[in-house]
Amino acid sequence: MKPKIAAQSGTFESSDVIFLIEPMADNSGRKLEISSTVMQQFGESFHNIVTEMLDSYNLTDIHLIAKDKGALEPTIKARLETAIKRSMDQQEGTLK
Amino acid sequence: MTFEDTDFRQETLDLENPFDVKLVKDFLATLGFEFDPDDVECTMIVYNLKGDLVGTGSHKGRILKYVAVGPKFRDTTAFALIVTYLTEKLLKIFKHTFVFTRPGNSLPFTGLGFTEIARAEPLYALLEFGFESVKTYQDYLKSLKANANTDNVATLVVNCNPFTNGHKFLIEKASSENEIVYLFVVEEDLSAFPFSVRWELIRKGISHLKNVVMVRGGMYIVSGSIFPAYFLKNEIVSEVMKKQAELDVRIFADYVVPVLDIKRRYAGTEYSDKTTEAYNLAMKTILPDAGVEIVEVLRKAIGTDADNNPNYISASKVRLAIKEDRLADVAEFLPDSTRDYLLSDVSLPVREKIKQGTGRH
Repeated sequence: MKPKIAAQSGTFESSDVIFLIEPMADNSGRKLEISSTVMQQFGESFHNIVTEMLDSYNLTDIHLIAKDKGALEPTIKARLETAIKRSMDQQEGTLK
Repeated sequence: MTFEDTDFRQETLDLENPFDVKLVKDFLATLGFEFDPDDVECTMIVYNLKGDLVGTGSHKGRILKYVAVGPKFRDTTAFALIVTYLTEKLLKIFKHTFVFTRPGNSLPFTGLGFTEIARAEPLYALLEFGFESVKTYQDYLKSLKANANTDNVATLVVNCNPFTNGHKFLIEKASSENEIVYLFVVEEDLSAFPFSVRWELIRKGISHLKNVVMVRGGMYIVSGSIFPAYFLKNEIVSEVMKKQAELDVRIFADYVVPVLDIKRRYAGTEYSDKTTEAYNLAMKTILPDAGVEIVEVLRKAIGTDADNNPNYISASKVRLAIKEDRLADVAEFLPDSTRDYLLSDVSLPVREKIKQGTGRH
């Protein structure tokens, strides 16, 4: 599967994490650009959370950019889920 | 004890409304900005329920402008709120956004996730954010990179508005003196001749040169975003123009030169145009430190003009001739590809545009 549209979740002012997702051409694979203020300690776990989440949605051809300010795991997951659903055009109402 | 009032409201302004414009103009004036409503596409403000104007932000195309927050509210989220609002809007349209700011203001933006790509002290720092970045452009450059066995790798940056024998001469000279030549074509469509036309005329005109690689200038090589002064008619070399040129050349030195292993850059000597003069000056100050030698080549001339000076080939003379309907006068300036194009009906809209235009481009 791949995202339909470019989408964003999170904001700059909440200082947790901001995700940008855009579709990529078929079979081009995942392109993850993760930057975090706590990269040294939590970079690997952040990467794992993102990969697992993308796996669970079966997303393969995707360009994802994350700018993290040290968000906690549930926050990362919630933000990413929102970004994914927006990019797949599944959000409704005000969350769209 | 004071409470932080974070109940901020945001609103976009009606730039046609003089009261709205005055509101922002007065606010920005207290912060040292001179707001020009013609310079922006959309302006938003943030205010609180007491009616205090907290901050404002604008954009023109993909560039964020006049982002400012009042001193009382600098420890609040207002700044991030404004930037979020603008980037969210812009990233739905563009792949990425730019910010120009004073180098001293670069930090608040990098704190939000922007990446600084170049600065020209003391006027500008350039930052970007989005799906694409200067790395995307570097990947594009890598995909074009040709294998060189020697250090003779040269480059030229041309706008070719339109392609003349002067350009052709310069490219042929670079081609004969080097193993590989990267020819950057300015991509911004602010010139009389659209990019696709300029690109095609050059491609046809230099197809006999096998070691020349044509490269799209993208958003980083003399683009309207980074170097707007290039596309304006300028009579004097201003500080702003110099610093924009410096920014442009610095990006070239930092992001293009290392990827393509460029050792030489060719440029035609400039005899009249102040903007290109400022640009060439910036090249001479920055590029040698990046290991790039500048080769200035005297412009090619055909015969002499009325004052007995050499009649230099120049694209602006060609445009003037088109404007005044005396194309035959400059026939010798034009390679086959451009001449055929200008004599055909395909070029009619472009010629009409030049006839009506008044600007430098």
